[in-house]
Amino acid sequence: MAAVRVVAAVLSLSLLAGCGPAAEADSGARSITVQNCGIDVTVDGPPKRMFAAYQPAIEMAHALGISDRLVGTAYLDAEVLPEYAGAQAKAKYFKNLPSREELLSLNPDFVLSGFNDVFSAAGSDSSFGSRKSLADLGVRTWIFSPLCPTADGKGDEAIDPSTVSMDNVYADLRDLGRLFGVEDRAAQVIADQQRRIAAVETAVKDAPRPTVAIVRPGLEGGQLTVSGGPDFGTVLIRQAGGVNAFADLKAKRNVKISVEEFIKRDPDYVLVSGCCDASLTPAASQPDVDKILGNPAYANLKAVRGKRVIPWLFANHSAGVRGAYTTENLAHILHPDLVN
Amino acid sequence: MRRAAGLAVCVGVLVLVVLLSLCVGNRWVGAGDVYRALLDFSGSDTDRVVRYLRVPRTVAGLLVGAALGLSGGLMQGVTRNPLADPGILGVNAGAAVAVVGAIGLLGVHSLTGYVWFAMGGALVATVVVYLIGGAAPVKLALAGAAISALLGSITSAATLLDLSTLNEYRFWVVGSLSLATGPIVAQAVPFVAIGTVLAVVLGRSLNQLALGDELAQALGTRMHLVRVLAGFAVVILAGTATAIAGPIGFIGLAVPHVARRIVGPDYRHLLPWSMVLAPIVLLLADILGRIVVRPAELQVGIVTAVIGAPLFIALVRRRRMAGL
Repeated sequence: MAAVRVVAAVLSLSLLAGCGPAAEADSGARSITVQNCGIDVTVDGPPKRMFAAYQPAIEMAHALGISDRLVGTAYLDAEVLPEYAGAQAKAKYFKNLPSREELLSLNPDFVLSGFNDVFSAAGSDSSFGSRKSLADLGVRTWIFSPLCPTADGKGDEAIDPSTVSMDNVYADLRDLGRLFGVEDRAAQVIADQQRRIAAVETAVKDAPRPTVAIVRPGLEGGQLTVSGGPDFGTVLIRQAGGVNAFADLKAKRNVKISVEEFIKRDPDYVLVSGCCDASLTPAASQPDVDKILGNPAYANLKAVRGKRVIPWLFANHSAGVRGAYTTENLAHILHPDLVN
Repeated sequence: MRRAAGLAVCVGVLVLVVLLSLCVGNRWVGAGDVYRALLDFSGSDTDRVVRYLRVPRTVAGLLVGAALGLSGGLMQGVTRNPLADPGILGVNAGAAVAVVGAIGLLGVHSLTGYVWFAMGGALVATVVVYLIGGAAPVKLALAGAAISALLGSITSAATLLDLSTLNEYRFWVVGSLSLATGPIVAQAVPFVAIGTVLAVVLGRSLNQLALGDELAQALGTRMHLVRVLAGFAVVILAGTATAIAGPIGFIGLAVPHVARRIVGPDYRHLLPWSMVLAPIVLLLADILGRIVVRPAELQVGIVTAVIGAPLFIALVRRRRMAGL
């Protein structure tokens, strides 16, 4: 996948260099085109005014060391990782996603989104508008590639599970590193992620693999929402030496299941995926954990009997530079004797 | 006499449906296991699923169904409007806006907390509708529609401004029986009981009301009192139903019509029949919703809308609705 993208990028570059006036080298700026979710993203020189929507995008911007180019950040699901707290404190922050008009008034030249709904034409009311409509205004856009929507723009329903991998996060880091002229930093971040994840994978290699359910707090319409196969949590749980108890449900990232189905699956661990506030910590989900532990219908569950219902964060199982952190965090939960 | 026998048959069918509701779900539980779960509880998975999930859900279906059937019948009687359902008094919209306020402004996050706000909102909305619309059926319906629209827009605005409120509120957009727990259901019992008693008392007066205001007055009906009491019963019943299960459409509208076709327009018979038929329909819809999209469930509010709408249209087309 990553190789294909690089080839595509090189091809489009050479095409531009060969016949297009767009690639005039004497302007001083270097024009770069990279493909993202099937859309060509071309910049003439590194973007200087980035808007980052959602936690994964915000953390990736900080990880790439381009915090000073952020004109705005929006919608954190939880506290940013400690290493980014200083940088985030200086960034302009919107609790909710700004409207298209508000976004454009910030005059961004690049919008990075951690999820795929902000560019859907008919999607949420807070949509920024389609990627093409933004490109027409000179605003480049990027969606994390483990979440590429398919052509029908159906978002979550249309994720190709094969794209849900750390490799695609690395590919994004590499591509964004090139676009923003911070290749070295991107390579460092990737190396750091790979080293930390490999260390965990080695440590838990021979351990038994417990089943893990990631559930949203509370019931929606009387049903539980769990992370299905295409959710990035599946990858992270696997890296940490476990198995997503609902990995076989592949239709969507977030899957609704009946309470009875949850009891039938009887996962070894239950992670309560708390969300969405800039100051949220895992402790905020403790009341929901207590509710699960105290529910008589759940009393026979292995996770309940073993007190293995853990307050956790939605932010932890999003695709992005949290990958290494979450892998370590999860491995410590699942295999405390092997990973500390 | 034949009506009473028919009603007894309906009660028998209801008992069977209740049993079915305890057996059917993500996995089939046989009648013997249901019996053991209820009377010889051992704490096994099956016992817990039956006792803590299916029993509350089934009792909720009984209460909500009975409440919706009765309140629909009462509404149609008191407004003399064949298309009346509790929604026309602003009950649903009032409950919804109060719940959104409770979530967004007061930080109430438990269903037991919502219940009281839903009831309060329903009551306030209905009183306002009465104050504006007065006694005349048409004015009442218009006032109800206007207030519902107003409250609905407030709800929309509030949920658009705050995404987390929207997430919690989504339950209130489509009704479901599966959020009911033992304590919530127990809370609801006295309300449904009060509403039922009122409905029984009001049956005769509603018959006189059906003759038209002048004739009813001539027969000595205290119309204002009847309307206020009936309105109170509707708010209690529909408010309780909404509080337990969120908004569920079509049951309150369609079931009284079915009852009317079977037993005629006499409210002394129509109301008890509605009260027994409605939970049968609601529980069957819920059972269907449990098995059609496994491992997920279809919320009962969706099922009643999908099944209820065509059924109702067929009903209206086949025979002109019996006079009220």
